[in-house]
Amino acid sequence: MKRIVMAVMLMMLSVSGLQAATLEEKVVEHTMKNGMKLLLVERHTSPTVSAWIRFRVGSVDEKSDERGIAHLLEHMLFKGTTTIGTKDYASEKPLLVQIEQTGQQLIAEKAKRDKADAVQLDTLQKKLTALESEASKFVIKDEFFELYSKNGGTGYNAFTSRDGTTYLISLPANKLELWAAIEADRLQNAVLREFYSERSVVMEERRRSYDADPDSKLWETFLASSFLAHPYGQPTIGWMSDIEGLTRTKAEQFFHNYYAPNNAIVAIVGDIDTAATIKLVERYFGDMKPGKTLAPVTAEEPKQAGERRIELVAEAEPTIVMGFHKPAIATADDYVFDVITMILGSGRTSRFHKKMVIEKQLATDVGVFDAPGSRYPNLFLVSATPRTPHTVSEVEASILAELELLKTQPVTERDLQRILNKMEYEEARRMGTNGGLARNLTEYEAVTGSWRYMTEQRGKIAKVTPADIQRVARDYFTRENRTVGFITKKGGDK
Amino acid sequence: MRFLILILCFLLAGLAPVSAAEKALANPRNITFPPLAYQIPKAERIMLECGMPVYLLRDSELPIINISALVRVGTVYDPAGRSGLAGMVGSVMRSGGAGGLSPEKMDDELEFMASSVESSIGSDMGTVSLTTLTKNFSRTLKIFSDVLLRPDFSAARIEIARKQSIEGLRRQNDDPKEIAGREIGKAIYAGHPLGVVPSYASVSAIQRQELLDFHGRFFRTDNIILAVSGDFNREVLLKELNATFGPARKVEALRLPEIPQPARNVTAEVIYAKKDVNQTVIRMGHPGLSKDDPELYAVRVLDYILGGSFTSRLTTEIRTNQGLAYNVGSHFDIGRRFTGSFVAETETKAESTVKAIKLMSGIIAGMTKEPVSDSELNAAREYIVNSFMFGFANPASIVTQRARLEYYGYAADYLERYRDNIAKVSAADVLNAARKYLHPDAFKMVLVGNAEKFDAPVASLGSVRELDLKLDIPK
Repeated sequence: MKRIVMAVMLMMLSVSGLQAATLEEKVVEHTMKNGMKLLLVERHTSPTVSAWIRFRVGSVDEKSDERGIAHLLEHMLFKGTTTIGTKDYASEKPLLVQIEQTGQQLIAEKAKRDKADAVQLDTLQKKLTALESEASKFVIKDEFFELYSKNGGTGYNAFTSRDGTTYLISLPANKLELWAAIEADRLQNAVLREFYSERSVVMEERRRSYDADPDSKLWETFLASSFLAHPYGQPTIGWMSDIEGLTRTKAEQFFHNYYAPNNAIVAIVGDIDTAATIKLVERYFGDMKPGKTLAPVTAEEPKQAGERRIELVAEAEPTIVMGFHKPAIATADDYVFDVITMILGSGRTSRFHKKMVIEKQLATDVGVFDAPGSRYPNLFLVSATPRTPHTVSEVEASILAELELLKTQPVTERDLQRILNKMEYEEARRMGTNGGLARNLTEYEAVTGSWRYMTEQRGKIAKVTPADIQRVARDYFTRENRTVGFITKKGGDK
Repeated sequence: MRFLILILCFLLAGLAPVSAAEKALANPRNITFPPLAYQIPKAERIMLECGMPVYLLRDSELPIINISALVRVGTVYDPAGRSGLAGMVGSVMRSGGAGGLSPEKMDDELEFMASSVESSIGSDMGTVSLTTLTKNFSRTLKIFSDVLLRPDFSAARIEIARKQSIEGLRRQNDDPKEIAGREIGKAIYAGHPLGVVPSYASVSAIQRQELLDFHGRFFRTDNIILAVSGDFNREVLLKELNATFGPARKVEALRLPEIPQPARNVTAEVIYAKKDVNQTVIRMGHPGLSKDDPELYAVRVLDYILGGSFTSRLTTEIRTNQGLAYNVGSHFDIGRRFTGSFVAETETKAESTVKAIKLMSGIIAGMTKEPVSDSELNAAREYIVNSFMFGFANPASIVTQRARLEYYGYAADYLERYRDNIAKVSAADVLNAARKYLHPDAFKMVLVGNAEKFDAPVASLGSVRELDLKLDIPK
């Protein structure tokens, strides 16, 4: 037995030494009857596995009175189920009902603002606190975390974006069934206990991530000003008054509307046996009923018809961000933007770095990227940190000059080849970690419709011509399509 | 071998038709698992002809090779009045050209190959790294070795690096979290090189010759450990490495300046910086322990229970129960060459600042009063033991880990015994470690926010030193 195993290993080494397997060869797809999509990759580098579940619902899908709910719900889904996270759900449940009633009364009273009854507010707040304290006697704090953790689970987390919501964990490979058991339970029996204290946590998250950080505050204001109609402009975390109006009832509705197996994409990457893993997932998730198919966002951003300028006065040195509306991911022009992004902003040979950081030394760094999502038309963005004594205006003029150059001078073959070489390397590199690969598989499957975007992107980019780049630059880098945001230092020079 | 057979049986069972018994779904609370014996992958240690140790681990899953060079150097060696020198050496080694290759040509050549060579110097270690597709290895290795040993320190690139650091200094008070992080470090290590940060004066004073001298003093083949992983042929690689780094040379013995250990005792102080924001950044702490202290394993367990996990005492009370913060926790940064530190941190709305601080101090002090519960102890030990394998999930992390252990002088069997040492920690050990290494009465406490909106005066927390955030940096 031992000799056979060794012989097999030697064979594998020599084969893989000649030719590393491509992603196309490694990914196994499986769609369950209820619509849940599985993407599996065997990697036997270490006895570990990463499991990511992506739901095709993000803050872009929120209605105006729900802003912030996708993210708050993500927090709430760590709180347990009817059996996990509780000592006695039957006794806990009536208290949860009372908490929700009181919470809603408090929100209604607070919504009266100046006309709110102070005594009533105080009474309701005290009642809510007392009920929460009573209910907490039944709570087993963060039991999901505890269960994963004592079994060696790491990186147990979740994140919400405009486009989607993802739940992730890495486990020792022999413990994948724990993931199936917990996640299947969470999807079917979640209980959103401790709602109002968690809502306070999210308010602190908002203060930390946006209110008290000037760069993020500019970013949030800039995005909101870039989209008048499309919900991409709304901050995922919600404005403070949005969060104040969220209730457990709204979170539950959102959960039941969107968290169905047909809206879920699962990637499991690591030291697994593919066939056994499919059976495992079928066993735990196969009986779930599919939910409604998600309707796409119907709002369309009207064509911008003039420059928008957004100023933030803050206790901070100046920064600048510039955006242009562009089409969604995996459209013909988007591949051209990929090339433009790399030519202008990727690495030390990029045009912005060479011109603005090294040659003219106007800025200490310049970044190029797209945001705030990619399922729907988004923005091409340039951000820069001006270097004193140079001003925001000088940096802005320099960015615009480089964008103009793209319209008039064709890029060189060498520039294009460098991009393809970089992508060849990235294709190899991103197969190197379980978590990274699971992230990319779920992300691209969700936003482009197929994870194969990862294997096809280089071929599409190879077809982009210098003339395409000139055309796209001329079409999109216009004054009318531009928004500029900047920080002015409080009390600083004009 | 028996483990292997068991695992095979499990896999085979998975392939069989679904039976009634298999359909039963496990309860997450008492689920059982097939066994998994885990052994830390070994890296080979080889000595190059020049006397440089190399850790090797071949893995051909991806057509990529990674190298890290660990160099015994650090910002702690910045001369008086030249804080920022080591950091600038670390950055300009790469950005300023090397081996006669100009900065522009190096950037162009590396990026055309999609190869990467980067360099940096931290407080007690310098790192130069290489990542490349296998097919471009030889050329990238040449550039890597030039950056490591023969940087040209272009005068123009030094000026750019200097201006960039000055711009960084100009912006150092923009984000309240950055202010608090810097100030707690300065307070804990006051009087020691670890507590010194670059200033406009020190960065402005640095001369090119000082960069050359600093580099020459530390970056020599007898002061470097290499870690190599990925898709290489062992014999070819060793030949190339020996050709690159050459034979042993007779040179004057390496003499590193002596840096004393920081003081372990500090006195309590409240450091306040005013920022007009709606949330206060809070950091509190003091010196901690080093890897050679016998309580190391008890402190690892203590750390998890107190503030190192989502179910830690600090997170459960401040975040989950009270909703006072999104981020709250504490951490013993284990000292490798120098005594480490303990820092507890949170951010809370201005109106709950003092409340949060008092709760946190009380929770930390609680660790020194009573033993932790059995369930806390078990949860911490199980997590640390069972998640251990994630430190070795890819070949690059395995070889770098081994090289780091040698660099810092860990016992040869440190990793092999780590899980057993954690499993042996008792509640009494944790209590003893807490009493020895946690001193809430001696906390340096940094608060950045708007005291006018606090729930109680800052002075109620102790004697206050207010920081002036105004910077004197000319335009």
